[in-house]
Amino acid sequence: MVALARKTLVYEWRRFLPAILAVCFAGLLQLLQAALVLGIFGSASVYITGSSADLWAGYPGTQSVNLGRSIDAGVEMRLRMDPAVAAVEPFHWVDADWRGPNDTGGVSVFVSGINTRPDGMLFAQALPPALRARLNEPDAVIVDRADLDSLGVGIGDSAVINGHRVRVVGVSSGLRALGGVNVVASLATAATLDTDPSNANRMTYFVARLHDPGQARRVAVRLRGDRAFGNYDVWTAKSFARRSRLYWIFDTGAGAGVLFLAGIVFLVGAAITSQTLMAAVIGSVREYATLNALGVGVGALRRVVMEQAFWVGLLGLVGSAVLGAVAMAFARSRNVPVALGPWTTLACLSLCMGLAIVSGLAAMRSLHRADPATLLR
Amino acid sequence: MSQPLPSANASTSLQVRHVRKSFVSGQVRSTVLHDLTLDIRAGELTLISGPSGCGKSTLLAILSGLQRADDGQVIALGQDLGVLGARALERFRLRHTGFVFQGFNLFPALNALEQVELPLSYLGLAPAEARRRAMASLEEVGLGPRTSLRPSELSGGEKQRVAIARALAKQPDLLFADEPTSALDAANGQTIIDILHRIARTHGTTVLCVSHDPRLVGHADRVLAMEDGRILSDRVPPSPSTPATGFEETP
Repeated sequence: MVALARKTLVYEWRRFLPAILAVCFAGLLQLLQAALVLGIFGSASVYITGSSADLWAGYPGTQSVNLGRSIDAGVEMRLRMDPAVAAVEPFHWVDADWRGPNDTGGVSVFVSGINTRPDGMLFAQALPPALRARLNEPDAVIVDRADLDSLGVGIGDSAVINGHRVRVVGVSSGLRALGGVNVVASLATAATLDTDPSNANRMTYFVARLHDPGQARRVAVRLRGDRAFGNYDVWTAKSFARRSRLYWIFDTGAGAGVLFLAGIVFLVGAAITSQTLMAAVIGSVREYATLNALGVGVGALRRVVMEQAFWVGLLGLVGSAVLGAVAMAFARSRNVPVALGPWTTLACLSLCMGLAIVSGLAAMRSLHRADPATLLR
Repeated sequence: MSQPLPSANASTSLQVRHVRKSFVSGQVRSTVLHDLTLDIRAGELTLISGPSGCGKSTLLAILSGLQRADDGQVIALGQDLGVLGARALERFRLRHTGFVFQGFNLFPALNALEQVELPLSYLGLAPAEARRRAMASLEEVGLGPRTSLRPSELSGGEKQRVAIARALAKQPDLLFADEPTSALDAANGQTIIDILHRIARTHGTTVLCVSHDPRLVGHADRVLAMEDGRILSDRVPPSPSTPATGFEETP
């Protein structure tokens, strides 16, 4: 079989280049905007993804980790009673007001009261044991290095949270959150900063480590809905992180923005690609008509056009994957939050292949001009 | 028509019976073919000549199954083309007909061998067989040594020979040529008509050529002169041509 589609593509590459570039840049645009949105809003779940816990127990219906309400402290016992649970740890969340030594005004902060033992689950990745141990000092807090400026402090400086004096004993990275500045303290410090009297004997979350993390989903189902300890629910870390991210993506309208832009990119890309493919078909219309005169069916000619669309799509995809990888590496080197999972990548690239296929279908319609009778004059 | 109705015999490959064709453009209906009846024989080079607009290309389109007649009957190789659907006509053309057009209509990306192989692959031939036939056809038109060249590297005459080889490789029973020499100089035109003539003789193919080129008249086995949608004369030229053997040409 003579590979007409491929040979034409190679020989007349200049003609197909606009279509390949259109697919390539459509793909790149999709990948980067998805990576940016997921990267920025991924920090909404930094409490969950930065911790090593398998299960999270919190107030029923909590839509995002920063919206937690306190649950009965007895839930800890309920979790410990389950044979699959290896360890349980409280997480005290306090919405607070920060006043630094410099003139930064009030800053809204989230205080995370965590277990300071070396094997603590919360912020296990961001806080190495030595740094974590410093939280044992009374009124010690740790913040992200990138937040020092907005808090108006340096290491060793003092500040006031909810009227209590605290001291910054260290900085780390990977603590940046969305919607406010994240301040990490010990459970004891956090308790002194929590001014809400109704939170006595209650805790925002309990997190648990399982003997077998693979059982997380089953154990979560088993643990939830036990009314003896008041209202609480149990989620796997993965589903709670996902729920927090989605809450932010859709609550802020960013999700709708992404979908809208994806639609625009698709339309613009399809317009350019289909026009280019159409021009290629019309450029060869006399040759196609000759083939049809010789008895080659219209279906076979359509396959040639679709094959060209496929190769254009594939080349465009390779281009956007390469450029996307370069752009992602550059963004990471500049601390721009980007995150891209395999499924999102696949979805973006499929959209581009869909764009090429739709363009091919549109270009196929130009084949009706390949009427062999018009060759006879 | 003044001609008697010819009786079909073994060597008659195309029969035309009372064919009419007219086109409507705006309010005007113009008749291109008036009640045409004729027979065309296999193994001959039949030339239809006449001024432009006389209906000769329309006749070719109808005889080859590219267009349908308004009225009348076209029987090609014993098959009434009027009863075939669009798909069946395509299949008929695939199996039985070859075309050579005034424009060579070669794919710029393919070399001479691939141009000829391309339609063969749709015939369901094995790749090796398609290649063998394509090579044989190119050699027959004298392009054996130039099979790897693309159209941009070939002269006009060579391009037309590739187009003939493309039609010939299918081993068609019917070969239609529309103004095959119009875009060529005298020497190349001579070569092309000789090749077409030889194909009719050696393969027993029905070669039907439409042209207003007066140089071709002396080379045809039979000349039908057309004017205003009617056949004016049907004659055998006085000095039948002897096909040339060489393929020297001036590019």
